Amino acid sequence: MALPATEPHIAVEAQNLVKRYGVIRAVDGVSFQIHRGEIVGFLGANGAGKTTTLRMLCGLLTPTSGAALIDGIDIFTQPLEAKARLGYLDEEPFVHPHLTGREFLDYIADLYRMPRGPERQQRMERLLGLFELADRNGELIGAYSHGMRQKIGLASLLIREPSVLLLDEPTNGLDPRSARLVKDLLEELASLGTTVLLSTHILEVAQALCRRVAIIDRGHIVATGTMEELRAQAGAEHASLEDLFLKLTAGPESRELIERLLAPKQ
Amino acid sequence: MNLFTTRIILAAELRAWKHRLLKRGPVRLALLGLFLLVAAVTIGGAVFAAGATAGEFLPSARDTILAGGFTALSVLMLVIGFPTVIATLYVGRDLLQLVLAPIRPMEIFLARLLLAMSANLLISSLVLMGTLGVGVGSGAPLVFYPLAISLIFVQVLIVTALQAILMSLVLQWIPARLARDVAAAVAGLAGAGFYLAWNLTLRQSFTPRNRPDLPNLNTALQNVEWLPSAWPAHALSAVIAGRLGAAATWLVFSLALAGLTIAAAGIMYRRTLLAGLGVFGGPQAVWKRSTARPTVVVTRRGAGSPSRAIALKDWLSYRRDIRRLSRMLPAFLFPIGYALTFFRPSRSINGFWTEVFLFGFISMFLSSALATPSIPSEKRGFQLLRMAPMTMWQVIRAKVALTLPPVLVITLLFTIVVAAAGGSGFGQLAELSVLVIWLCVGFVSIGVSAGGIDPRFDASDDRRAVGVVGTLAGLGGAFGFGLLSVGAFALFVFGFAAAAGTAQLGGLPSTLTVGALMWVAGLALAAGAATVVGVLLWFANTRLRGFEAAIAAA
Repeated sequence: MALPATEPHIAVEAQNLVKRYGVIRAVDGVSFQIHRGEIVGFLGANGAGKTTTLRMLCGLLTPTSGAALIDGIDIFTQPLEAKARLGYLDEEPFVHPHLTGREFLDYIADLYRMPRGPERQQRMERLLGLFELADRNGELIGAYSHGMRQKIGLASLLIREPSVLLLDEPTNGLDPRSARLVKDLLEELASLGTTVLLSTHILEVAQALCRRVAIIDRGHIVATGTMEELRAQAGAEHASLEDLFLKLTAGPESRELIERLLAPKQ
Repeated sequence: MNLFTTRIILAAELRAWKHRLLKRGPVRLALLGLFLLVAAVTIGGAVFAAGATAGEFLPSARDTILAGGFTALSVLMLVIGFPTVIATLYVGRDLLQLVLAPIRPMEIFLARLLLAMSANLLISSLVLMGTLGVGVGSGAPLVFYPLAISLIFVQVLIVTALQAILMSLVLQWIPARLARDVAAAVAGLAGAGFYLAWNLTLRQSFTPRNRPDLPNLNTALQNVEWLPSAWPAHALSAVIAGRLGAAATWLVFSLALAGLTIAAAGIMYRRTLLAGLGVFGGPQAVWKRSTARPTVVVTRRGAGSPSRAIALKDWLSYRRDIRRLSRMLPAFLFPIGYALTFFRPSRSINGFWTEVFLFGFISMFLSSALATPSIPSEKRGFQLLRMAPMTMWQVIRAKVALTLPPVLVITLLFTIVVAAAGGSGFGQLAELSVLVIWLCVGFVSIGVSAGGIDPRFDASDDRRAVGVVGTLAGLGGAFGFGLLSVGAFALFVFGFAAAAGTAQLGGLPSTLTVGALMWVAGLALAAGAATVVGVLLWFANTRLRGFEAAIAAA
């Protein structure tokens, strides 16, 4: 199912992605397109296939079939070109626990072949300051809290200015102020042309940030579009994103389950 | 290929190592330095001296000795260094960072290969000392020494690349989630196989009661001279002999082998890197869906038992963990190796006291393999135990109760078979069985305590699951307990014989009084042994109750 195009340039494209583990199809024919400068929310229940899809899009997992394109470049046939344009933040960021925050950013900048010099240094300092990590000089990342690791992971993406960001639960573990900072930052980046695919469980974040959302359930995309389009699709005119999500990924009614659980013992 | 990237990765890793080292604090660093210095002087010095002696006095066997040394080094590295190679090439979230970056897999491979050599380089330092010793003893020309260092480095490179090839091969057929366990099992089996071969051939050359059987050793070593692992040795012995043509030929062979192995490993690594990232192997593949409804057995009466719950959890997880099961292989093959040695008629090692020491050693070996990692293997799950309404003492008891049966059964079976085959009577068999039960209970308790005293809940490998303090406490405790127990046992046996008037005690008369006195002394030693165990258990309990550092690490 393709998201309706609103801009001419496609930044991210999943083409019929399938990931199979034996007889289990974790992702089953996922297709969508995201346009440059868009922030798209990727929603789904636990185990629905969000993270597997994101990991295929960034080249960490090889799909059983299908293709993943970043700025029109296939990540599996031209990995170097595609990866240079891409920033992926895992729900548990990939950081080097035995380096300090500054050393880690320097390492990433080197890996992505960013020219050394005062400009790079200034950017690094700005990012460390922005995420309130500048005063953690000398402290190893291994000693950081989860939220701080999340921040240094984000900083390691932003230092190299990728054109596409794939973020898996980026506000997970962040304090309210930092979470707000990340939201503002993503909006600003999108306005400058960065494309963001954001996987989250926090529906308020998705509703506030994302122009469009894609909902995945048991490996299938079950709905895509703007809030209005989703409401029309679900036939619920004033429904919130939470109501829509629950309706589109319908399971047993929670009230019924709770009543059954709390029923008096016989 | 861009070597600049490889340099960046290596520089970051070296910086991380520096941080890890400096994190220890000046006192621990000084102690570590002192320990390394002492180890280098004593062990390295001894190997160097042995090499120098062989080089000086066995000129005709220089090539054979060097070939044996290089082959032994290869085998050791292949088995011992394998987990490090797997971890460096396929595991680690920092590796995922590299996969995400626009870097060629070959660049990642080269950087990680050099890092993966660390464990193997450590092992090779022993052979390096021995080889340098042979050079000094033989009066080798100056060129021998840099060549020896270079060739040992090349050998380490070849073996590390071979290990990468093995892992890549396993990944062709085995899902990533299982691959590391299967590869570790293959390495464990290989190690156990080599151990058996050692028992059945070379070890006989060092039987302590006879003079070293050098012709047997020489013949056995000559059998491995054709192996590629011996090629660098041939180059070095040719340099000693002044045959520069032969030296150059063997050198070219060795370098060509290294080039081929590394190229093959690089190509295979490129093909399997993504598949091998076990962290992202995804959920376990399910090939057939079960249609039957799961049956849940619910005990109808009585309260749930935490100890039983821990034991059941350990049992379920242990038998599903191929990696931990594979580590038990050497422990199981160890007694089998000895049993085979015993059953070779010409080489049987008879004698009641030999058996006493052997059973003691086996129970200690099995306990350290199974009991020591039992508490650290809880990993993050240890926090659940901390939060549960139970004492650490209950945890320790549950661990001892779960580990004791397999250790006891294996050692007792082995005892009965070997003692019966050795012609021991029922009385001696009963005595040995009592001793074995006592030793198993003690060693298992000590092993569990060692893990509780200094657990490393964040260790990914069981062999690193216990810190230095725990390891030293465990070793010291086991040594003390073993000596006191065997001493007590000896006093009981001789005391009984003295009371019966049949003992031969040198200057001491064989009387009832002497026998009784020996029994009292035996009881004192047994009490001492029990105290050692008790102190370690108490120490483990205290440490687990208040060891916040371990909890933070988990």
